[in-house]
Amino acid sequence: MKLTDEMKNALMIIGAGGAVVHLTTCSADGKPNTVGERFVAVWKDEYILIADMYAQKTRMNLMENPIGVITIAHPVKGRTWAFRGPTTMLQEGLPPGFEFHGAKAKDVLDEWGNWAEKEPPSEVPPDIRPPRLVQRGVMFMK
Amino acid sequence: MKNWLEGLGAHIGTATKKGFPTTIVVESAKVEGDNIVKFQLSEAQVTQIKQNISENPQVALGPGGLGCIRAAYQFKGGARIEGTTLIVEVKEIYCTKPGPEAALRLDTLPYENVIKFESTRWRDTGPPK
Repeated sequence: MKLTDEMKNALMIIGAGGAVVHLTTCSADGKPNTVGERFVAVWKDEYILIADMYAQKTRMNLMENPIGVITIAHPVKGRTWAFRGPTTMLQEGLPPGFEFHGAKAKDVLDEWGNWAEKEPPSEVPPDIRPPRLVQRGVMFMK
Repeated sequence: MKNWLEGLGAHIGTATKKGFPTTIVVESAKVEGDNIVKFQLSEAQVTQIKQNISENPQVALGPGGLGCIRAAYQFKGGARIEGTTLIVEVKEIYCTKPGPEAALRLDTLPYENVIKFESTRWRDTGPPK
């Protein structure tokens, strides 16, 4: 399933601080976890990725229950889409050739494994900008 | 916390008891007492989460709109639906600001320490008027 241009634009608002979303994951026994995330992108029209800045509980949940929901928080009031699908963490060190629902981890990480270099967080207001964008990998949804 | 939830609502994470998640977005809320948050839902939203709440009342709330980032909290608790109102009793509060204090549990701190924590970590105490 491909994301429409309207959906992609809503997820990748440039300027005015960029888009922010919530990612909901869930433990295998049903306890949800809903966390705000800022660094969001779309990959090859079918995948949504978010910089993994050491999201501990999210990681634990995805390791035991690899599904997530992404909802747009700002600045797209009224466009209350929820994107739900298989979700995982991609990071360096996965087996060579590792794929997740048709996406090669190496290809994703080659492009988005260093978010600070690809898209420096210059538009994030200084008072909430991370002192350094320390990234472990990406959270990756089909 | 109350200002952000009442001003911009929340993204409400629910799940089946086997962990299949559904999230709805509600743009305002009413906070009652110290830990009760009420959301007025549409009929469609009630339909979306009714089964989840009946089999698994656990929910997670992330502040809506700019609060997603500006109000770096996550609230967890138990929920029930009365008519078209979702009533959440908040039992856990976490800091979600990226960095060394991500996932820090706040509800276990004395109240005055939570106030001190907020005042030394960010300036906003509610959404822009």
